[in-house]
Amino acid sequence: MNKSLKEKLESTFKDIRITIPEDSRIAVSAESDNILAILRFLKDAGFNHLALLSAVDWIEDDCFELCFILTSYERDNEVTGRQGLHIILKTRIPREKPQFKTTTGIFPNAEPYEREIHELFGINFEGHKRLTPLLLEREYEIPPFRKDFDTRKYVEDVFGNIPSVEDNK
Amino acid sequence: MDRNQITKWLKAPAKMANKYSLHAIYFCTGCGIIEVPPVITARWDAERFGVIPVATPRQANLFLITGYVSVKTLRAIIRTYEQMYEPKYTVGFGSCPVNGGMYWDSYNTIKHLDKYIPIDGWIAGCMPRPEAIFIAVTHLWTLIDKEMANGYIRYRENYKSYRRNQELALGKLDWPPLYSVNDEPQGNE
Repeated sequence: MNKSLKEKLESTFKDIRITIPEDSRIAVSAESDNILAILRFLKDAGFNHLALLSAVDWIEDDCFELCFILTSYERDNEVTGRQGLHIILKTRIPREKPQFKTTTGIFPNAEPYEREIHELFGINFEGHKRLTPLLLEREYEIPPFRKDFDTRKYVEDVFGNIPSVEDNK
Repeated sequence: MDRNQITKWLKAPAKMANKYSLHAIYFCTGCGIIEVPPVITARWDAERFGVIPVATPRQANLFLITGYVSVKTLRAIIRTYEQMYEPKYTVGFGSCPVNGGMYWDSYNTIKHLDKYIPIDGWIAGCMPRPEAIFIAVTHLWTLIDKEMANGYIRYRENYKSYRRNQELALGKLDWPPLYSVNDEPQGNE
């Protein structure tokens, strides 16, 4: 049944690479324009749960990678019938223009994930209704999860410069 | 009651009563809080040492900071500490409040907690065993006896520098200062 889903995806979408690293796992890489359509397709096929949305900073390749992990709660579905089958959907977006379309229209639970990625990687999700700070307390010049954010220098500049109380009585 | 301590009881009954009934605020910070439920329940039973968890800072006089302190948690810690009644004692539990521990180069974790609130004692280790809490409590008894557990007095005296450090870490604080921060000699604090 992995095979049939693979064929279906390949026949429906162009420029899509599908590998099956394990029995229960399908990895799909696609162009960023196709992602919303693929997500909708997979949701209709039975993958009704977005388990995780995360980002990776590939600084050598000059791009961010968004990674959607989809699973299913339907046990009797013919596509997702096997328990634990999940799909990893990956796409790359350029580092200079970190823009993506929001997926909250398809999976409402993507909202906190997108807020987190917006805050920690600085990727802007167009159409997201509430891209407000979620975790961090203060503004950073570079979002702290990017690879060019120098944590040690930052720690020295910010926390290292706070004097101990004995020193500045 | 220990007969040797009768003179101490007669000299300073309030201090002795305070010392043997430490009420720890049940404040969960980081991973160290996982050691606290076995400490306060049947397995290690902290009540043998007079330590009992309480729900609000208004009823507490012992503050266990159990693990790494993120910048956001620091705000809550300061507010909790300022609400506690004196005399109040703080103990940093685990190596993260001491110097950042394994989060020494993290962008969002406080490195030295004693820059922001006064600490009376440290328990080093990652994680310390529950027994270490009892060792800390008995050490705290000694410190209280010798009047060396004076964190709340230091906080009052150096409030200006503590407040300045808190503002450096957190930006503008949205609560009024607990004590006067003006340069004039303080009146009836």
